[in-house]
Amino acid sequence: MKANRKTIIYAICLIAAIILPLVFGGNYFISLYGQTLINIIIVFGLNFITGLTRNMNLGTAGIMALGAYASGILYVKFGVSPWLGLAAAIVVGYLIGKGLGYPSLRVSGVYLSLTTIAFGEIVRLILNNTMNLTGGAQGLSNLSSYSIFGFEISRGLPFYYFLLVIMLIMLWISTRIVRSKWGRAFKAISDNPDAAESLGIDIAKVKVLAFTLASIYASFGGALYAHLMGYINPATFNFDMSIDFVVMLMVGGIGVVSGNIIGAIVVTMLPELLRFLGNYYQLVFYLIAFIGAIKLPQGWPAGLASLWKWIVKKTGLKSRKEG
Amino acid sequence: MLNTILQLAISGAALGFVYALVGIEYSLIWNATGLLNFSHDKIITLGAYIVAGIFFTRMGLPVPVSFVLSVIVMVVVGVLMAMIILNPLRKMTTIFTIMGTILFGRIIYEVIRLVYGSRPFTISGLMSGTFHIGSLAVAKTNVYMIVIAGVVVAALQIFMQTTKTGKAMRCVSQNKKASELMGINVKQNICITAAISSVICLIIGFMVIPLYNVTLTMASMIGLKGFAAGVVGGFGYLPGCIVGGIVVGLIESASVLVIPSVYKDAVAFLVLIVFLLIKPSGIMGKKA
Repeated sequence: MKANRKTIIYAICLIAAIILPLVFGGNYFISLYGQTLINIIIVFGLNFITGLTRNMNLGTAGIMALGAYASGILYVKFGVSPWLGLAAAIVVGYLIGKGLGYPSLRVSGVYLSLTTIAFGEIVRLILNNTMNLTGGAQGLSNLSSYSIFGFEISRGLPFYYFLLVIMLIMLWISTRIVRSKWGRAFKAISDNPDAAESLGIDIAKVKVLAFTLASIYASFGGALYAHLMGYINPATFNFDMSIDFVVMLMVGGIGVVSGNIIGAIVVTMLPELLRFLGNYYQLVFYLIAFIGAIKLPQGWPAGLASLWKWIVKKTGLKSRKEG
Repeated sequence: MLNTILQLAISGAALGFVYALVGIEYSLIWNATGLLNFSHDKIITLGAYIVAGIFFTRMGLPVPVSFVLSVIVMVVVGVLMAMIILNPLRKMTTIFTIMGTILFGRIIYEVIRLVYGSRPFTISGLMSGTFHIGSLAVAKTNVYMIVIAGVVVAALQIFMQTTKTGKAMRCVSQNKKASELMGINVKQNICITAAISSVICLIIGFMVIPLYNVTLTMASMIGLKGFAAGVVGGFGYLPGCIVGGIVVGLIESASVLVIPSVYKDAVAFLVLIVFLLIKPSGIMGKKA
C-alpha cells in the first residue's frame, strides 16, 4: 500500500514535469526549467561528497565550468560533436575528481573546502586569460544543440524533454549508487569513521571516489549547460554559484536523493518568486538560507513536516482524528 | 636586477605579513570554537567600510579618530558574530558550520552593497609615498604594513602569554571540555576571541586600503590566501600562520619573475595544494 502511494506521487511529479512547460511556457521559462534540471543533476553529484560523506565541496562552479568549456572548446575550435563533448566532460570530471580529491581528502580536516574554493578561483583566472582558447571574458558563443540521427534537438521544448530524460537516467543511477556498497560506505564514514575503518573500508579511497562522482556529475552538467544556453563565459561560474548548489542540498535535506530535486527546484525558481524584491532579492535569499541552515538542518521538507506535526499536536487536531 | 629582486622581496614580505594576520585572525576563532570562519574576508571588508566609509568619508573625522572609533564598533561586531553564529553553530556538523559562516558573510556583503553600492573609493594620501634607500625605492605602504603587522603580532603574543584571559584562550584551544570543567566560561571566551579577531580584521582592512581601495571584493583574495598561509604554516598554530604567510607572500612575489603576472593570484593556491601533497601538517605543524 505504502509503496503504491509512493509510485503514485512519483507518477504525479513526472506528469507535472511533462505538462509544466506546456502550461507555463515561453522561451525564458523553458530555459529556466532546463537550468533547473541541470542543477538537479549537479546536486545529485554533490549529494555523494557533501551529502553522504559530509565533506564540503565549494568548487562545484569551477568543475562545472571546466566541463562546459571542455565541450564548448571541442565544438568551437575543433568542430567535434557535442555528444563527444559530453564524453570529454565526463573524462574531465574524472580527472578533476582524482587530481583534486587525492591531495585534499588523504588527510582528514576541512582541506577539501579550501582546495575546492582555490580550484574555482584558478579555473576562473585561466578561463579569463587564455584568450585564444576560451575567448577570455567574452567566453564562447554559438554552441550548437545536440542532434539525434540527424534531427536537431532544438532549444525550447525538445531540449527540455531531452534534459528531463537525462535527469531521470541520472536519478536512476544515483539512487542505485546510494543503495549500493559505495553509497553505504559513504554513509558509514560520515556516521562513524573509526567503525567504518575497522570494517575494512579505506576511508581516503572512498572519499576520493565520492568526490570523483560529484565532479563527474558537475562536469557533465556543465557540458549540458553550455549547449542549453549556447554561450558560456567565466563570470557565470563564480563562487556564488558553488554556494547555491550547497544551499540546494541543504534546503532539500542533506543526503536524501528526492530532497535534492526539491532543493534544486526551490533554489532555482526562488529568484522568480522573489522578483518583486528587486535589489533586495540577494539579501533576502541569503537570510532565508542562513536561517534555514541554523534552524532547519534536516532540510525544509522534513522541517515543515515536523512543524505540521507540532501544529497538529498544539491545536488538538490529532485528538479529533483519534476519536 | 638586484634592485628588482629586493623590491619584490619587500613587497612580498609586506603582503606576506597581511596573509599572516589573516591567518591569525581566523585561527583564533578556529582554536576557540573549532569553526572555520569563511565570512572573515567580509569582516575585513566591513572593517574597511566602517573606517573609510562611515567615519572618514561620511562623518569627516581625521584618520586616527576614525580608526579608534572603528575599533569600538568592530568589538561590538565581533561579540554579535559570536552570539549570532559562532555559539549556535559550534555544536552542529561541519557542513552547517561552513555554510552558516559563508551565508553570514554573504549577508554582510549584501548589506554593504545595498548601503554603499559597488563603486570603489579610498582614503587618499593614506600611507602613500616612497622611501629611498640608496638606489632602492620602497613604497611606504609596504613598510607600514610590515611595522603594523609586527606590532599586532607582538601585542597579541604578550596578551596570550601574560593575561589571564589570554591563558584561558590558550586552554580552550587545547581542550574545550577540560577548560570548561576548570571553570573557564567558554561562551564568554568565544565572545572575547571573536572581538579580538574582528579588530585584527579591521586592521587588515585598513592596511590594504592603499593597495586595493575600498571595494566589495577587496578582501576576497587575501582572505583565500590567508587560508593558504594557514595550511602552509600549520593549521591552527599561530606562529605557523606567520611563517606560512611570509612564505606564501614571498613565493607569490617571486613568481612574477617566472610566469606572467596575471597568474600571480593562482600561485598561492598551487602552493596550498603542493603542501597538502607533500607536507599536510605544514612547515611548523606537528605531525598530523
